[in-house]
Amino acid sequence: MSEGRYLYAVTRDLSPDAVAGTRALGGSPLEVIEHRGLSVLVSTVDLDEFGEDALRRNLEDLAWLEATARGHDDVVRFAAERGATAPMRLVTICLDDAGVLARLDDSYDQIVQALARVEGRTEWSVKAFAPTAAAEERATAVGAGGGAAYLRARKAAVEGRRAQDEAAMATAEELHDVLSRLAVASRRLPPQDPRLSGHEGRMTLNAAYLVDEADGDAFAREVERLAREHPDARVSAGGPWPPYSFATLEDA
Amino acid sequence: MSVHNADVVEARPAGEIALVDLLDRLLGAGVVLAGDVVISLAGIDLVQVRLHALIMTVRAGMDEPR
Repeated sequence: MSEGRYLYAVTRDLSPDAVAGTRALGGSPLEVIEHRGLSVLVSTVDLDEFGEDALRRNLEDLAWLEATARGHDDVVRFAAERGATAPMRLVTICLDDAGVLARLDDSYDQIVQALARVEGRTEWSVKAFAPTAAAEERATAVGAGGGAAYLRARKAAVEGRRAQDEAAMATAEELHDVLSRLAVASRRLPPQDPRLSGHEGRMTLNAAYLVDEADGDAFAREVERLAREHPDARVSAGGPWPPYSFATLEDA
Repeated sequence: MSVHNADVVEARPAGEIALVDLLDRLLGAGVVLAGDVVISLAGIDLVQVRLHALIMTVRAGMDEPR
């Protein structure tokens, strides 16, 4: 059986003592590797489960994917509660500790920059959804009225839907503009597939905001105010979360 | 479907990240180390992976009698 070292996150000033007794993926002990002022949270994993071939199979298995993502998130949250934390991408694995140290050296400056960027800040998610069904229903309802009336109704429905789409996109842009001004940084993520998220209507905004901890309440209140101001758009927010979307390393 | 559970794949305790949001972040962001890391996710189409895994499950759930 061969083993690897699974990397969860890089942080600062977290000593091995601080994680004593904490369990990570698969029930293995959570460990800290200290290097040049950085603390990497790692645990040992079995490469029969986390090797490249096994991963191709396991990443397609929702129960495995969810358990691994939740286990990873648990460790990231543990670290984020204790200081600035740069989460690693899911299933980042090195053969041994020497590999971990070499990788840290390679990306040292960028990791330090990423930690400085997220220190004292958390991530908020805001999504907006636009209704899509109304215009089509109108067209169907008028459809029984005969040829010319049907064509007129259909044209009106198409134009109506276009206007509705434009209004929904304008609302999304406005939400994003206003919220970006309250945030230190922001990122637009691709709209989620409704088959995954189960949402109805069209997702017009899927954005992440990096917000100073002290501004978190004000940010949440502003989301609520914007939601009231735009009753046609459904707005949902999540947070505060560890700064997943903002700990990415800049290109060297 | 109510507004409140519209964007979660399954019910989670309050404050926890919905799986679909977590995967957006754990697969689409995070620190990526270059070099001879054992596992290279670059060879896997992550969007396809999560779509495939999740859609299979969502469909399986929908087919179950309620």
